[in-house]
Amino acid sequence: MAAVAPAIDERLEAYADLTVRVGANVQEGQTVFLNTQVEHAPLARAITRAAYRAGARYVDVRYRDEHVRHAMIELGPDAALTHSPEWMKLLYHAMEGEALIWTTGDPEPELMNDLDGERVGRARMKEITEIIRHQMVERSLNWSGVAYPSAGWAEQIYGESNVERLWEAVAFCTRLDEADPVQAWRDHMARLEGRGKALTELDLDAIHYTGPGTDLTIGLNPNARWMSALFRTRNDIEYVPNMPTEEVFTTPDCRRAEGTIRSSRPLVLDGDIIEGLQFTVKDGKIVEVTADKGAGIVRGQLEIDDRAGYFGEIALVDGTSRVGQTNTMFFDTLYDENATCHIAYGFGIPEVFDGDPGEGMNISNVHTDFMVGGPELAVDGITKDGTTVPILREDVWQLD
Amino acid sequence: MAAGLARIDRYAELIVQVGANVQPGQLVEVIARIEHVDVARAVARAAYRAGASYVDVGYSDQHVRRAMIKNVSEDLLSWTPPWLLERVKHFGNVNAAIVALTGDAEPELLADLPGELVGKARMKEIGEELTRQTNEGLNNWVVAGVPNKGWAAQLFGEPDVDALWDLVEFCVRLDEDDPVAAWRAHVRKLGARADRLNDMQIDSLRYRGPGTDLTVGLLPESRWQGCESVTANGIPYVANMPTEEVFTTPDARRTEGFVRSTQPLVLNGQIVKGLEVRFENGRIVDVRADVGADAIRGELAVDERAPYLGEVSLVDGESRIGQTGRVFFETLYDENASCHLAYGSAYAEAVEGGVIDGVNVSAVHTDFMIGGPRVEVDAVLRDGGVVPLLRENIWQPTH
Repeated sequence: MAAVAPAIDERLEAYADLTVRVGANVQEGQTVFLNTQVEHAPLARAITRAAYRAGARYVDVRYRDEHVRHAMIELGPDAALTHSPEWMKLLYHAMEGEALIWTTGDPEPELMNDLDGERVGRARMKEITEIIRHQMVERSLNWSGVAYPSAGWAEQIYGESNVERLWEAVAFCTRLDEADPVQAWRDHMARLEGRGKALTELDLDAIHYTGPGTDLTIGLNPNARWMSALFRTRNDIEYVPNMPTEEVFTTPDCRRAEGTIRSSRPLVLDGDIIEGLQFTVKDGKIVEVTADKGAGIVRGQLEIDDRAGYFGEIALVDGTSRVGQTNTMFFDTLYDENATCHIAYGFGIPEVFDGDPGEGMNISNVHTDFMVGGPELAVDGITKDGTTVPILREDVWQLD
Repeated sequence: MAAGLARIDRYAELIVQVGANVQPGQLVEVIARIEHVDVARAVARAAYRAGASYVDVGYSDQHVRRAMIKNVSEDLLSWTPPWLLERVKHFGNVNAAIVALTGDAEPELLADLPGELVGKARMKEIGEELTRQTNEGLNNWVVAGVPNKGWAAQLFGEPDVDALWDLVEFCVRLDEDDPVAAWRAHVRKLGARADRLNDMQIDSLRYRGPGTDLTVGLLPESRWQGCESVTANGIPYVANMPTEEVFTTPDARRTEGFVRSTQPLVLNGQIVKGLEVRFENGRIVDVRADVGADAIRGELAVDERAPYLGEVSLVDGESRIGQTGRVFFETLYDENASCHLAYGSAYAEAVEGGVIDGVNVSAVHTDFMIGGPRVEVDAVLRDGGVVPLLRENIWQPTH
């Protein structure tokens, strides 16, 4: 009997190849851990095939199901909310030295809206997060995240479930529309690497943001580099943790930030949308939060631990960003943070330091990016001798 | 069961309350394919409503398995990732409740791969651990079917999932006003049947019908079982939904005669039709079939004890599966359609004293149907008396 081999979607396979070869950069003989959700099965299957094509030793796929999580939050006992199963700890420990790929793209953005927000916020596998955080600090795994276009996500973005339209946006942002996407990514990352080097060589003392509602100075760490999202494991495997990526970034000195900053785009947090967010910052710490909508959610997050209210990342993105060019609010950090300049409160980025980060790097269980960029924002560097160097004006990069 | 629930939630309630019988505070494992999400989610909700401490749903994906079989080195085919073994062990150690969902969405997905590799691609250590847990009675568990397009297409030639849902609903008594009460009555009925058979002191069973004249000897220690099992901790559960049988373990040395199967049988992706088998001194010595005899012969060659009987099971015409007149291409359903035998391994729990002489042990266990209106089943008692058990598919013994 002739069996029918499963139909192959060329674009999906190419996307999966890009994820595996450029994103996680899976090495021959590595085990690949794929952290995905049931609605992403077509992409998960394609990534599994692509990983084996790239020489993976074994691919372990874990499908999570947000409806099961919904049931837990709605109906389960309190202890279930933070339960980290032992076997899952073993799984995450086993990732050391291996490759990890995760998928995003929320098929049902409003799924948790009917639940008690406080329980939703508490429902986190803290012990699992700590294991992952440790591995990132140790730079012991090559990993990447990619989005899967779904009907629900398209509906959220466009108000209609036009998956093909979203696919085209994703293909544009991830350079899948190029004749040779892998080469296009190499060129793109080389350009961002060049920007990072130039900023590092300026040896800046601080960054100054000015714009409507914004006048903020953030101190930089002398031992931190500016870098692009071209990461290296401690075994020198180069990988791109986010696809797309358009940013150059560093971890600021968490002790030195003063002024006010207004977010230029809505922020999506735990399924809620925060609009008109504005922070007042004193001695490095966010001391006041206001928003047109959703300020309480941000305040709640800032209370998760006592270092949540300090900055962990500043990132610069100009108008050449493909994500920015789509003029689309994706409601997904992976995309939205690459549309424009952003800042994150919470955990810093260990990769930007040579050696021990020291006390300048913030450590927290939180890391939330909020957008501050746009044509009205001016970004300047301030050198150690007090000179001002323009970096961004009207979304145009000033240093190229 | 709460009134006004959707069909899928009523099904989940039944699986959780009657099948696995989830206890307050219990950890619950759900084993599912990604095509089973709707029922898996409903089971998670029902389990939390029943007081589960945590519901851990593990989804597997046959497409991922296909890629694995095609690509991994041979020594990894039967490899068990340590975290998955830890997961299974943990569920045993804490006496979790287990819900396993079946219903193959793409029955032919692996058909073009070398059969030998597909056969090897089993996580061996997990299989061994599960056998241990079952033998020690650590978990209350249930297997239940999930209607899906692929399974429906096998039955109807078209992916009519609604029609399959209607059949499943009937077979698992979801069409009753109070399915939980209907199941309690059903469990009692089969339990009483098993008790009655145990009281009879049966020496052997005799089957007569077209192409069939077979005697199956029992052990003095053989114990008939209804559909309710009990864990080592005393939690009752119903391991299969649906279930219609009373069964026991025969004396593997004492089967004589010939038998004609009354329904097609699905074996390793092949359909066997018109199966006829002859026994001598307990052993299958001749196999014929209109289609697929080699699939049976191949399996009987797996080990020395494969051609001996391991199970004898009685089902009457009240069986809802039998009443549908359908072949479901799914053992969970088909074995409950009518009387059946299984060659290969026996159930130690159906024998006083466990694995004693005469209890068959093999790597194989395959059920084939031998019942129907034209098959008469008698019990030959130890004192030589003969008691009719089934005539025209009607259960004969009364109290």
